[in-house]
Amino acid sequence: MQIELLCQPASAVARLTLDAGEAVTCEIGAMIAMSPQITVTTTGRSRGGKGGLLAGVKRMFSGENWFLNHFQAGQAGAQLVIGPTMLGDILHHRLRGGSLIVQGSSWLASSGSIELDTSFPGLGKAIFSGEAVFWLKCTGEGDLLLNSFGAIYPVDVDGEYVVDTGHIVAFEDTLTWSVGKAAPSLLGSLLGGEGLVCRFSGRGRLWCQSHNPPAFGAALGPLLRPRSA
Amino acid sequence: MQTVLHARPSFAHLRVRLDPGETLIAESGAMASMSGHTLLTARWNGGFINALVRRYLGGESLFINEVSCPAGSSSPAEIIITQPTPGDIMELKLQGTSMCLQKGAFIAATTGVVLGVAWAGFASWIGGEGLFRLKVSGNGSVWFGGYGAIVSRDIQDELVVDSGHLIAYEPTVSLSARLAGGIFSSFFSGEGLVTRVRGPGRVFLQTRALQGLASWTNGFLG
Repeated sequence: MQIELLCQPASAVARLTLDAGEAVTCEIGAMIAMSPQITVTTTGRSRGGKGGLLAGVKRMFSGENWFLNHFQAGQAGAQLVIGPTMLGDILHHRLRGGSLIVQGSSWLASSGSIELDTSFPGLGKAIFSGEAVFWLKCTGEGDLLLNSFGAIYPVDVDGEYVVDTGHIVAFEDTLTWSVGKAAPSLLGSLLGGEGLVCRFSGRGRLWCQSHNPPAFGAALGPLLRPRSA
Repeated sequence: MQTVLHARPSFAHLRVRLDPGETLIAESGAMASMSGHTLLTARWNGGFINALVRRYLGGESLFINEVSCPAGSSSPAEIIITQPTPGDIMELKLQGTSMCLQKGAFIAATTGVVLGVAWAGFASWIGGEGLFRLKVSGNGSVWFGGYGAIVSRDIQDELVVDSGHLIAYEPTVSLSARLAGGIFSSFFSGEGLVTRVRGPGRVFLQTRALQGLASWTNGFLG
């Protein structure tokens, strides 16, 4: 599979050129255009992965759709153009073994060879991290495409690093994290508008998005009129 | 201290590197990520009374954050500062000068900058921008941002701007609210009230306004 990223960072889309028989799994609604030689199947499970009803339910709680779309090329050179819903950037990450933990709504697409599973970080983190309840765990070898609201910047963590909730895109599973206060006192954290943050420790790479969808929503929301039932 | 603006103009964010003992002032909620040993301290936005005035008559935050790298740290601290809306951020270097910022435009400042409050007048209030405004003065750098790109204009006489697009102006500039045209055209042209700015001085405009996005979206809400 060849991947080209176009129109970065504000309106990024990915153009994938597939080999014969090659498959890619995408978020529902991500397809913008494709060659007619590509066939689409919609399932509730990732290819070859554990699937079924429970996997679909967990995926819904991770901020993703119940269903997944699988695109398979009937002949070499078939092209697929995909993009996220919001304005923002796309990150191409080549996974070579190991696992990447992806914030639910940041996952856009992955090679058929990558296994998608949901991971539950624990009740405390699920409630207080401000992110989706479940995270996607991507394992295997292949290409992974992630999307963001805003630009994506990588951070090589060695020691401790703090990310405000709403800014996490993905991280290597060599990192551990916990939910904590932004400032030494809880009152200070709340008054300073940061509240709770995610504290990462260990060694590994972390990707953040420059903008925070809930913060944009909070700025826009009060200007919208209430919906009539 | 080293600062770099990244991803301008669509998703501008500020990367700051603080050496041990250095401090930056940041808008409440503006921190996106930071090194583990960075210290955040919330304080009143320019003193208790000033903070209350700014919050309730100017629409600004009640608290701001002091972001610092503790003295004695073995390494510098790195902080990413951002704003709620996609758009551009500009740095302004103050050398004993001052600048007025509209509601929500302030993002960060170095410690030599004083965040004050100034009477904005009824024109500002009618334009939906509050009776008071944020006035930054002193010596140092201020970062402010907008929705969309930011353009600046040096005004000798007068300029008419849509009220939602003005984000910063020098204190030598005076504002007055006007109807865009006559009663009829003001009502039907979609411009409504405009702000007439009178120079001399520099003004900064954002190329989009959140109110515009909101009223467009409202048309689709059933």
